[in-house]
Amino acid sequence: MISAGQPRTSRVTLVGLGLFLSLSMNAQLNRSRPPAPGPAPTVHLGEHETFTLKNGMRVIVVENHKLPMVSVQVRFDIPPIVQGEKAGMVDLVGELLAAGTERLSKAQIDEQVDQLGASLATSNDGIYASCLKKNLGTLLPLVKDIVTAPAFPEREFAKVMTRTRSGLQQRREDPDAIAEVVSRAVIYSRTHPYGEVTTERTLDNVSVKHIKGYYQLFFRPEQAYLVFVGDLTAKEAKGLANQYFAGWKPTRPATIKNEDGSEDMEGLGRVRMMPKVAVPSGTRRVNVVDRPGAAQSVIRVGFPLNLQPRDLRALSAQVMNTILGGGVFNARLMQNLREDKGWTYGAYSSLDADRFNGHFHASVSVRTAVTDSAVYEIIRELDRMVNEPVTAEELELAKRFMAGSFGRSLEDPRTVGRFALNTYLNGLPENHYATYLKRLDAVTVEDVQAAASAFLHPDQAVVLVVGDLEQFEEGLGAISMDRSRPVLRLDEDGALWEEPITPVNDRTAEDVIAAYIKAVGGREAIAKAAHLRRTASGTLKGRPLRYTEWFAPGRKYRSESIVNDIPVEEVIHDGERAARRGEQGQEELADVDLQELVFFAHPVPEADLEGRLDRMVLAGRTPVGDREAFKVVFMTQHGTTIADLFDTESGLLVQRVEEKYMDGRNVRIVTRYSDHSEYHGLLLPSRIVRTGHPTGRMELVLDAVDVGPQAVAVPFATGLPPVVEPAEYVTDPGDGSREIENMAPGDGGEEED
Amino acid sequence: MMLATPSAAQTRAIAFSEFDLPNGLHVILHEDHSTPIVAIGVMYHVGSKNEDKDRRGFAHFFEHLLFEGSANIDRGEFSRHVERAGGVLNANTTGDRTYYYEVLPSEQMELGLWLESERMLHAKVDQKGVDTQREVVKEERRQRYENQPYGSILIEVLKRAYSVHPYQWPTIGFMEDLNAASEADYKAFYKKFYVPNNAVLVVAGDIDQARTRELVGRYFADIPRGADVQQPVIEEPPLPGEVRDVIYDRIQLPAVVTAYRTPAFGTRDFYAVDLLNRLLSNGNSSRLNVALKEEQQKAVYVGAFSLPFEHPGLAIHFAIANAGVVPEELERSMDAEVGRIMREGVPPLEFEKLKAQLETEYVADNSRVAGVANNLATAHTMLGSAAQINSELDRYLALTPQDLQQAAATYFTPERRVVLHYLPLSQKPQP
Repeated sequence: MISAGQPRTSRVTLVGLGLFLSLSMNAQLNRSRPPAPGPAPTVHLGEHETFTLKNGMRVIVVENHKLPMVSVQVRFDIPPIVQGEKAGMVDLVGELLAAGTERLSKAQIDEQVDQLGASLATSNDGIYASCLKKNLGTLLPLVKDIVTAPAFPEREFAKVMTRTRSGLQQRREDPDAIAEVVSRAVIYSRTHPYGEVTTERTLDNVSVKHIKGYYQLFFRPEQAYLVFVGDLTAKEAKGLANQYFAGWKPTRPATIKNEDGSEDMEGLGRVRMMPKVAVPSGTRRVNVVDRPGAAQSVIRVGFPLNLQPRDLRALSAQVMNTILGGGVFNARLMQNLREDKGWTYGAYSSLDADRFNGHFHASVSVRTAVTDSAVYEIIRELDRMVNEPVTAEELELAKRFMAGSFGRSLEDPRTVGRFALNTYLNGLPENHYATYLKRLDAVTVEDVQAAASAFLHPDQAVVLVVGDLEQFEEGLGAISMDRSRPVLRLDEDGALWEEPITPVNDRTAEDVIAAYIKAVGGREAIAKAAHLRRTASGTLKGRPLRYTEWFAPGRKYRSESIVNDIPVEEVIHDGERAARRGEQGQEELADVDLQELVFFAHPVPEADLEGRLDRMVLAGRTPVGDREAFKVVFMTQHGTTIADLFDTESGLLVQRVEEKYMDGRNVRIVTRYSDHSEYHGLLLPSRIVRTGHPTGRMELVLDAVDVGPQAVAVPFATGLPPVVEPAEYVTDPGDGSREIENMAPGDGGEEED
Repeated sequence: MMLATPSAAQTRAIAFSEFDLPNGLHVILHEDHSTPIVAIGVMYHVGSKNEDKDRRGFAHFFEHLLFEGSANIDRGEFSRHVERAGGVLNANTTGDRTYYYEVLPSEQMELGLWLESERMLHAKVDQKGVDTQREVVKEERRQRYENQPYGSILIEVLKRAYSVHPYQWPTIGFMEDLNAASEADYKAFYKKFYVPNNAVLVVAGDIDQARTRELVGRYFADIPRGADVQQPVIEEPPLPGEVRDVIYDRIQLPAVVTAYRTPAFGTRDFYAVDLLNRLLSNGNSSRLNVALKEEQQKAVYVGAFSLPFEHPGLAIHFAIANAGVVPEELERSMDAEVGRIMREGVPPLEFEKLKAQLETEYVADNSRVAGVANNLATAHTMLGSAAQINSELDRYLALTPQDLQQAAATYFTPERRVVLHYLPLSQKPQP
């Protein structure tokens, strides 16, 4: 293991060891165990020098002559602001910073950079450039020009806007990009600087004056770090820094401070800082961006954290995250989801300490069929991390891996510059990185568990899945702790999804139903099929299912479900009362349950709605897959709402949506009907897929439809005991129950006086 | 005329030594004490072009299996040894070769040699490993090719650019073939290709060469030599003419791909074509960037890449349209830029720019021992000699603007190309 402070082995010893080995070459090599490591060399942390220019710009220099290269970075220390209606503006600053200066056009800048064989990239908080040492004298004036005198030309602004708008369209078809944007939106909220989402609408509100204003307010020397790394001396760097940047003294734009802490500035408008640090809150909830037919589900499970880099617990938190899923192959998420289950190419977690607002997230892409199982496993791993101590072996591996990563990172001299910049930006102790390996070595199993308790919040996690919702809705809903909306559907921008619906004025709901009846075969054919048996087979939650229904006049009805060759449920309606027999025995269906059963106890319920509906409404046209349908909403007499979708061309029922409260939560059951075929004069769906039901996904293919009294020669007797009306209510004060006889119906137990 | 100037390669050559073990294993050592780390890599000269027609993707799948363990390393232990030692490990497979590597603290060099020798001598995989990795590879395919907009480009291009050569299928392969693979396949593949005489071992970084030499001998000398490996000799016939097709994908913005048949990696014309691709898309002032993104504003993204295949490969030009731009229009603009090179050639100043970019890239490319190890192994395997690492830049710099113009005229022609238009699924004609 690499550890700081151990003396480097002398060359003499190594040579001696080599001789010894060569003598022992013929000895039997013991392959059964890994060879022991040699003596650990010292990890040398590179040095940096720092000084401040007259205008307040802080310069950091890392001298390293291994390669004839130099990198130059100017980094502005800018707090995150709320962009609100102008979301996307800050990113545009980065896009446009190098798009022209007072002296040079964008084309000239691009040409010069490429002529030098240099690289140059700008972002919303500065610029990074690198080149061969011999070209530094030419590159640096260019960097200076871009930083101190950008022109933000209107023409370039228009071009960037066109590309950005196109990019938005592209992003909405990229599952990983959707997951990135929407997970931030749900973890931080869309009103937090880290969760804001750029849309065409917000881009409409941005103009060059905002970009210029932002630049003037935040790109200021006293907020800047100038970092040189590579093949130059501190003296050279000092000369260059003074020559190019010391004279930059822009006037500070005037702002007016408001009571709420915001500032108003001409051009930029109102500038609002991050209102408050987002922390884990509420209960575990599940969000889905639906991508029908998606090849995989992209999953994120996360929450915001109030964790700053200078927090003393940040290091043990990183060790904890390494054990959980942070970069090592032996992390729990990777081992569980990939190496044990084979569900994914890779599973990771990241714990981001941030001086303004950190966050945690686990991420994985899995095949659709295991989506809810994967989310469950992630939650389980978070729980396990919080509730059980990690093993000494896991801790050791994580610490050694992190020490190794630290050592490897120092191969790049820019790491030293990054460390210095981090130290100043985050207010870290001067020796933060010098003591890193020692502090890492000291992290204990208890520290890791304390970090897990403090920074992992499985019960407040925000789950996001970008994938084919229909395939996993039930399972995901069960993981949610939000009982009213177990699965919240969002659009690609992280906003609440709204069904796209176009109003229809040329027909009524009655017209659509009439067209449907006609498409099915007409009232006469339906009447002829009053005695009907429908036999189907398929799967329920992946297990083989056989399902038979019998319909007889007078709304008599019977159904049988057989799963894995075992009868699991029977429902019978004798015309008056109904019973369900299942694994838990028999129960009578009454009230709403009975009325609902009666409503559907007809081969074509829409053909006989008389007296069963409060109201029906044609909501409009809506897309269903790549077709279109009329949406009719039924409000039944028993108080439930059902939405049926009828194909605009064929007139046939293609989808039914029922929203109700079942098993302690709201559910949205979607049944899809397809592959209609003719049976005894009726055009019936031969394929039925039901999702969202607590019992799980059901897929059925119609095997046979038979009509006539012979087909329904089965008992419709419920087997329920006869109803005995109680003569009177009995009061038993001893059992603590309410005193029924004192209660008048509907008065809620209140007494009038 | 360009005058030869001392190149970066001449002034900053990568020093290395090399030798062969009696069993045919070629070994390359590179010493650099800047950082106390070491990179250990083994490149086997086997890739998807060595696969049977009905085992497409096998080489890459096999790469996954070779992390499963050995006679002395149980399932899951391989990576544990590396990470517990503070190192990282990975592997990758192309059409031509498979590369495994570890980067370790230098005092753990011997561990890396042990692991790689175990992998070469007596790798082992159990049924759980096979079954799991098959699923993992399926997910890798879904994640990288199927659940990405435009993710199928390479697959669709290769399928049409080659009719005989195994390059016609992607390295990731096809799942039905992996499902069909059996134990006999694993054994035969291992015996045939994973032999010391078909591999090169590179140890680069904070090492003592004498001691490393000894240790390499200790761990690798006893591994039995295998039969000589016959690399396939395949004559891919010319395309019947320009191949055009339309692909409907889950995208909003249309895209255009033009893929030209080009010479093999390492040939003089490969470098000429590669320079042309750089001329077209390397840097903001490159031609496709300026014309399509800046001046005409037709594209949101442009790129031109070389596929450095051992046998004749491809140059792939790719552009994603700005909203509202049709692919025909985009293709015309791409063709206009290629046509301009043929007609007008490359001005000296622009040619100097390409050289400056190459020079910087060369330095950056060899700035880490892991990169040097990979480059040495690649040069040995693909170009026949590790020494090519130091002459490759010169091979670029030896080219003239006339060579580029000539190469454009020779290779960027309609009869050598596949053109694909990517369109949103919503535009697919209903059957």
